[in-house]
Amino acid sequence: MRYGFVAALAALAVVIAPAAKSQDAPKDVKGLFLMTDYPAVTVRPGETTTISLRLQNYDMPPERMDLSVSGAPPQWNAKLLGGGQPVDAAMAATNSSVSLSLRLDVPKDAPIGTQKFTVNAAGSSTKLELPVAVTLAKDLPAKLTLTPQLPELRGTSKSSFEYQLSIKNDSGKKETVSLAAQAPRNFDVSFTEQYGSQELNAVPIDAGQSKDVKLKVTPPNTAAAGQYKVQARVSAEDTSATADLGLDITGQPKLDLSGREGLVSTRATAGKETTVPIVITNTGTAPAEDIELSGSAPSGWKVTFNPQTVDRIAPNANKEVQALITPTDKAIAGDYITSIRAAARGESASSDFRVTVTTSTLMGMYGVGIIGVALLVMVGAVARFGRR
Amino acid sequence: MRREGSAFNGLGVVMLKELADHLTSIRFVVLELVVMALAVVTVYVAAQDIKNTVAEDPFLFLKFFTTSSGSLPSFLFWLSLFVPVVSIGLAFDSINGEHNRRTLSRILSQPIYRDALLFGKFLGALLTMAVALVVLWLLVIGLGLLFIGIPPGGDEIARAFVFLLVTIVYSGVWLALALLFSILFRSAATAALATLGLWLFFFVIWPVLAGEIAQIVVPPDPRYMALGLQTPGTAVLEQVLARLSPSTLFGEVVVALLDPTTRALGPIYLSQLQGAVLGAPLPLGASVLIAWPQIVGLLATTILLFVIGYVVFQRQEVRA
Repeated sequence: MRYGFVAALAALAVVIAPAAKSQDAPKDVKGLFLMTDYPAVTVRPGETTTISLRLQNYDMPPERMDLSVSGAPPQWNAKLLGGGQPVDAAMAATNSSVSLSLRLDVPKDAPIGTQKFTVNAAGSSTKLELPVAVTLAKDLPAKLTLTPQLPELRGTSKSSFEYQLSIKNDSGKKETVSLAAQAPRNFDVSFTEQYGSQELNAVPIDAGQSKDVKLKVTPPNTAAAGQYKVQARVSAEDTSATADLGLDITGQPKLDLSGREGLVSTRATAGKETTVPIVITNTGTAPAEDIELSGSAPSGWKVTFNPQTVDRIAPNANKEVQALITPTDKAIAGDYITSIRAAARGESASSDFRVTVTTSTLMGMYGVGIIGVALLVMVGAVARFGRR
Repeated sequence: MRREGSAFNGLGVVMLKELADHLTSIRFVVLELVVMALAVVTVYVAAQDIKNTVAEDPFLFLKFFTTSSGSLPSFLFWLSLFVPVVSIGLAFDSINGEHNRRTLSRILSQPIYRDALLFGKFLGALLTMAVALVVLWLLVIGLGLLFIGIPPGGDEIARAFVFLLVTIVYSGVWLALALLFSILFRSAATAALATLGLWLFFFVIWPVLAGEIAQIVVPPDPRYMALGLQTPGTAVLEQVLARLSPSTLFGEVVVALLDPTTRALGPIYLSQLQGAVLGAPLPLGASVLIAWPQIVGLLATTILLFVIGYVVFQRQEVRA
């Protein structure tokens, strides 16, 4: 019977509580009350829940009230907290209240059903009791939802994958939602605003509202072709939601061009053909096909290849071709740059070769001949006019 | 009457005697002292300049020859001035001097031919110049080491050595010319004046004159002038004319040897420079190949001038 009385009192307090807050204490209510806004709550096993309590004094002298909880299972670890620390007693001044909270660690294996227990406050003259009912339920309406608009994306290992995610806050209060994503090793993930480049770690969302964010996943350049999974996860203080996203990376050939043993210099004589071995390597993740070779050299130079095209290079394989470089006849001695380029469909590589041109020594021979003629003239003169 | 024996019998004796005469003559000592003083001053100033301004350079040592500082011209300029002057000074009276002292017939009464006398006189003078130039060359390199303290690289030494050889050849041109004039003119003063005049003409007047003649023969194209470029035909003709002067040839050889980045002597079409890596040094062989026509020109000029002098001398009446 007493239970019923106190419960009725508590219910009355709930009804009049907003009035009590906004105005002074009503004149016709007098006494000490132990109150809560919601004396019957539903929680999920394995969660920690907090029920806020209030010790209210209307027109009574302050009194020390010893607090206790009875009827709670010991594994639940029921604890009364006041001002952030465990308290065993509370004292409310006249016409004011003391905030308390009841913290419950509901174990994971707690049986489904309703658990009732009582919060007691005992003073020298007054005894207060507040029955609380906690119902355990497996499925609660989600407090956060995370919905990807396009959950499966496709691209090459060079592209970045952008997922639009909308986060909805269905809990009854404003939450700061932190964002995280789990991606394969060496994948780079970042959250940004939907329109903007600022990276985010958390977004505040008002009760009942939703917000769109963008998750950008950048795979490493070396990522092999294949399917990858990314899990996006949003969490607020007591709730979280996840979304599974998929990446389909298609392979991409990548060409690399250099001389044999990395040598990118050669010597050539003006007007004479010289052969430069060139190694084309496919460092990508898909075979390169129809590779065309071309060279750009100073004007008048001739650059051809043997063979002119390469049909196919498998990933991580290489092929050697010969570049035939002919400097122009009029080339003056010195170093020149010749670019050699290999282009497959949509992929190309180029390398600059340094060609040291030497001019023909034929001119030098002519010079020696002229000196020889001069010496012959001298010998002839000595023979003709000598010994006088 | 057919004479017997080698035409060059006694060549060595004449050559050594000439060498000894030159090295002990006051004239040579004075000229050498002036050149050496200039060498020390210019190299010292060049060293100061290099220390202060020149950035890291793989051919730092060659800069000693080419760096000029303010109003003081480079060592190279002094060299191109003094090599002809000293050469002419050594040889302008070699034959007519003997004539005038009436010693020629006395020498020729010895068992030596005129061949040996002329070859000996030329080689003796050339050897004197070679000794002087080697000393100068060593002086510059030694002073350079002293002032800068960086040892020269092998390629630099090789280039400087080829430069020394070319300088000796260049002095041969003026020796042969002076010898020729000393045969042609009986008066030593006339021979000296004619040789020096010819040198001054080639050194100062001819480069200007070559440009003027080229402009008259091939008038510059206004389209090239509007672009601020030289008309190719005019430029080529100007260069051909200028190269008739031994001093121009020597200057071009020196540029190719002492500046390893020189790719060509003479006008270059822009198309020839397309794709070229500018500032990359050439190997010594390529540099010599660029300057080879000029070197050949100097050598052949020396030989031909000497042969003309030789033929004239052989046919001359020497008794007086």
